Amino acid sequence: MPPGHSATEAFRWFTSDGRHYQIVFLAGFLGYGIFDLGWDAEVRRHLTIAATCLITQAFFIRMQGLKWSTLKSAAISTLGLCLLFKAGSMWTLVVGAFIAIASKFLIRVKGKHIFNPANIGLLAAILLTGDAWVSPGQWGSGPALVFLVGAAGMMVVLRVGRIDTSAAFLLAFAGLDFCRTVLYLGWEPEVWLHKLTSGSLLLFTFFMITDPMSTPSAPRARIGWSILVAALAFTLSWKFYIHAAPVWALFFLSPLTPVIDRIWKGERFSWITQRPLPTTITTNPQHA
Amino acid sequence: MNIRILLPATALLLTQHAFAFCGFYVAKADATLFNDRSEVILVRDGDRTVITMSNDFKGDVRDFAIVIPVPVVLERDDIKVVDRRIFSALDSYSAPRLVEYFDANPCQPVVMYDLQSVQESSAEMEDAPRKKSEEKAKAYGVTIEAQYTVGEYDILLLSATQSTGLKDWLIDNGYKIPATAHDVLDPYIKSNLKFFVVKVNLQEQQASGFDHLRPIQIRFESPKFMLPIRLGMANSNGEQDMIVYAFTRTGRVECVNYRTVKAPTGRNLPLFVKEKFGLFYKHTFKRAWRREGRNAVMLEYAWNVTPSWGGMKCDPCVGPPPMQQEFVDAGVNWGQGPNGGQVFFTRLHVRYSRDKFPADLVFQVTPDQEQFQARYVLTHPAQGDLSCEEGQTYLEDLYYRRVRELDELAMLTGWDVAKYDNYTNEILRRLPPEKRKGMFAPPLSIPHGPSGGSGRKNLMVAAAASLLLLMLAVVQRRRSAQLSA
Repeated sequence: MPPGHSATEAFRWFTSDGRHYQIVFLAGFLGYGIFDLGWDAEVRRHLTIAATCLITQAFFIRMQGLKWSTLKSAAISTLGLCLLFKAGSMWTLVVGAFIAIASKFLIRVKGKHIFNPANIGLLAAILLTGDAWVSPGQWGSGPALVFLVGAAGMMVVLRVGRIDTSAAFLLAFAGLDFCRTVLYLGWEPEVWLHKLTSGSLLLFTFFMITDPMSTPSAPRARIGWSILVAALAFTLSWKFYIHAAPVWALFFLSPLTPVIDRIWKGERFSWITQRPLPTTITTNPQHA
Repeated sequence: MNIRILLPATALLLTQHAFAFCGFYVAKADATLFNDRSEVILVRDGDRTVITMSNDFKGDVRDFAIVIPVPVVLERDDIKVVDRRIFSALDSYSAPRLVEYFDANPCQPVVMYDLQSVQESSAEMEDAPRKKSEEKAKAYGVTIEAQYTVGEYDILLLSATQSTGLKDWLIDNGYKIPATAHDVLDPYIKSNLKFFVVKVNLQEQQASGFDHLRPIQIRFESPKFMLPIRLGMANSNGEQDMIVYAFTRTGRVECVNYRTVKAPTGRNLPLFVKEKFGLFYKHTFKRAWRREGRNAVMLEYAWNVTPSWGGMKCDPCVGPPPMQQEFVDAGVNWGQGPNGGQVFFTRLHVRYSRDKFPADLVFQVTPDQEQFQARYVLTHPAQGDLSCEEGQTYLEDLYYRRVRELDELAMLTGWDVAKYDNYTNEILRRLPPEKRKGMFAPPLSIPHGPSGGSGRKNLMVAAAASLLLLMLAVVQRRRSAQLSA
């Protein structure tokens, strides 16, 4: 809720929380998908995911006496799922969206949730129901997408302070794929670029792997962990022909985060800017 | 069974379309080779893939040869020749369709309903020297993994250690391969793919009595579910069309490295489109494909076609549903009997070119069972006397409906519909002058230029520009905050 009356205060309120950026950009991508890429027939899917996520979050807010502002996190998970998660039946969507939000509260180690909510919700639905899927090709590929997703993503990761995670993952993945596709197999660089400029890969890079609540806290450990995710994603994609490989790699490596956090201590992330604000929301939300 | 008797007379007509597919033609003479359109049936069940390639080669069969990368060395039983009629049956069943409805006369409250459909005119080695040749091949770094004669074809399965050797071997054995093929062969060799090389065995071909080359079907087990289109582009810089008929147990097939978009559907069109539906769809496809940036795969049909499933499989059906035998011929080895599992049919239309499709097509099977067909609607006006009040209101509505139909036609095809003004005026003339006065023709949104692609670009640029502005504002804000601190 914007605390002030003037535009400056509203702007300050907006920039004080990194989640606001994420919500705006993810909603922008969803709007682009709906209005320009022709996903208009999927509005029912989006509404089902949104309703399930928000109701589940509201339930846990009431149960655990949390701040209502944590609904913003549920909104981010909702948008992430809308962009990735497809299913034949509405019930599959409900299951996936419920698991996504519930996992934040039920699978925790030392106050941090282990899995990125959208990531676990989506993959749990695929594994449990067999009725869900990801369409890695739905964004297409191209320089315009790189610019759009890249610019938005950069803003978010700079604000959240996770540029190291995105950069390490993208550089490692691009490097490994360049070695295989161009240097070893001998394809033209266009083949490599086509894969790298995929909208799905970029969204993952800037909006999923950067989740500060499920990545290691120490910067160096985080870089190492991102490279590991990239290496696993690369292996899964060319060795096992798994198409949404980065999403799976993140899922498999997320449980490593608490272990890494134990070894390399780092400052815990807070969504809210620490500079004094004329508001009451200066304390960290317990759960995000 | 004498297959010749079963061959339809129209089969010959199909040879107007040349065959391209994943391989490239390698000719022994300077015959003019065409790469326009190809058709492929893909059956995917787990890791098992069956690929059937239509084979409408025009020209002297002695010049026919294709090279296709395959993931494994195929056994003799994994290769078949099949009847070409499967393709025409699947094509006519899944082709974009036109449906006609008839308005009831509001002045005669008798319910009349009829449904018709018209279909788019479908646009569209010997044993003795074997050891010797194997030894020779080895000198090129090429290994002849297997060789068979199947139907009218001589088939070789080659593996190679380097592209130069393979290229030299092909050239020295009389295959004329495009100069640019060399660059493409290398990545396939390094990916450990084998080369399925086919040419016509003239004796077998003559003995078979067929005057055309029958489709070749291969089956293999591999996690790779892809079509190697890059090799087919080695001797063509232009655009090529490929229709993919895919069958799975679970649901729709989609492309994972390009966008799969639905063809325009459910549009109401002017009646005169019936006479030129083939041309209409050709232009509609082209325009939609351009709008999608020329690098999307178009979904034209998706439906559960399980033979034992009693539900409706199309609306309207433009051909008889595929028969049990056609599924079996296509390589679907399930779906028989009440508990045989379901068969899901996807038709994809790919128009690809070297610059817009740099990588081979990779597919995935989804659990998506949503039904889809490219369907266009004609509505005939009510017949008889329309002089009653309801009839006059009906005519007014009909006039505006026809304006919208023309608008839709212009949007879909880019046609200049101004020349069809009589289509709306003939309704206007049936109204009394006093009613006509109050009516106006809404401006037709006749699009100029090739597509609405520029709209998307503008949107992208606008979005990116606003992002940059926002970014600058944030940076500025932070700086001033730091300064004041």
